[in-house]
Amino acid sequence: MEVGIRGWGAYIPRFRLSALEVAALWGYDGRLPKALGMVEKSVAEEDEDAATMGWYAARVAMRRAGVSGDDIDAVFFGTESKPYAVKPSATIVADALGVKRRKLATDLEFACRAAGEGMRISVGLVKSGLARNTLVIGSDTAQANPGDLLDFTASSGAVAFVVGPASGSAAVIEASVSYVTDTPDFWRRDRSPYPEHAEIFTGEPAYFHHIVSAAKLLMEETGLRVEDFDYAVFHQPNGRFPLQVARMLGIPQEKVLPGLVTPHVGNTYNASALLGLAKLLEEARPRSRVLLVTFGSGAGSDAFSIVVQDSAPELAKMGPRVADMMNSRVRVSYSEYSKFRGLLLKNVGG
Amino acid sequence: MRLSPQQFWRIRENQYRLFITVCGSCGRKAILKRPVCPYCGSDRVHHVESSGLGVLESFTKVYYRRNSSEDDLPKFIGVVRLTEGVRVVGEIVGVGADELREGMEVEAVLRRYASDDPYGVIYYGIKFKPV
Ligand SMILES: [Zn+2]
Repeated sequence: MEVGIRGWGAYIPRFRLSALEVAALWGYDGRLPKALGMVEKSVAEEDEDAATMGWYAARVAMRRAGVSGDDIDAVFFGTESKPYAVKPSATIVADALGVKRRKLATDLEFACRAAGEGMRISVGLVKSGLARNTLVIGSDTAQANPGDLLDFTASSGAVAFVVGPASGSAAVIEASVSYVTDTPDFWRRDRSPYPEHAEIFTGEPAYFHHIVSAAKLLMEETGLRVEDFDYAVFHQPNGRFPLQVARMLGIPQEKVLPGLVTPHVGNTYNASALLGLAKLLEEARPRSRVLLVTFGSGAGSDAFSIVVQDSAPELAKMGPRVADMMNSRVRVSYSEYSKFRGLLLKNVGG
Repeated sequence: MRLSPQQFWRIRENQYRLFITVCGSCGRKAILKRPVCPYCGSDRVHHVESSGLGVLESFTKVYYRRNSSEDDLPKFIGVVRLTEGVRVVGEIVGVGADELREGMEVEAVLRRYASDDPYGVIYYGIKFKPV
């Protein structure tokens, strides 16, 4: 059975922190935001977390897919900022969405690509007949050590997809492949509040190697060439890397820019590349073929070939669009950001 | 007030989702999934889930902090008339004081209500944000 995306939804909090303010506060050169391709990043409120944002995106995805909780056989929640270190978020979101009890449900963690894995697992489940429809959520309130380079990019957002039979879907998942190695480019140890990263090492041997390798594998296995893709969406840790990796693959910038959300949203980690895909489902002409390549530190990439179907433009009208959520924005100060994201050390209780 | 995981677990369906009780005897509707009609006492009731859409009828700014609530003060509490015709009181989020106005369209969202700091259970529930 062919597998497709039957519905999608996204969530971007409306508050934004300016990259120029981050640079000024921590003594960085004022030209750094531009070099990173960053204007601002989204900031979740204090009562939001990966579960609440994922819930919103999933509700919209289910509405677009025209499914109820009884139609969902599996829930995969990809995040690296789980509200609980131990206790699944998938169960909270599933109950709040009214998903039936007879289901598979779990959280997946692989830095920024866990939701991409959820998509591939879903393709397998639907193809095999073990599931009719699955719900895949990528949601993060990404943490950054205050003053670290990640402070320019680590942001909050969510995206969700209902994966099911291709017939009547918004987009057909033609092919997919994964490429995974052990590469310590970015990590967070137990009890550490913020992640650490290996600076420049996160680029060449990590981001670029895995994305290029996965994309090439996909093209080898399918016989598709770069010219066969109308759009390309890559994981977006900043505004610059996706354009660089496109150049390495010989993909022109104009095929990448429509799905590039990070300069105005930040790196939403598990939602990053998939938020770009959601935007394309709302904007691309039917029959467009999209190359989607995720990346998660540690490290791995999933490459997908996705063909937008005739129903996508109609389904896009049934929920808030990514572009609208990008435009609906209110600037907050670093103080408000610190309060919203719980960065201030307080006595608790009372 | 500190909730207990057990208490919250029992009421979570009404916390997580906006149900409406429709009475088969008097025909009136009430917020929450209830075993009996709050108006006539009949148990001939059925339950429907609200679309979550509504209009903000009134609101106030609140500075009082409940124990174990998130640090989100000040906050706005409003009366929302759902499209199904039922009124519900809830917190209004994602909006500044200068943007709030009566008649504003809102939608239900899942948010944190409180958590037993620093290692306890997180309690989620429905609030409202502008559409
Ligand atoms: Zn009654």
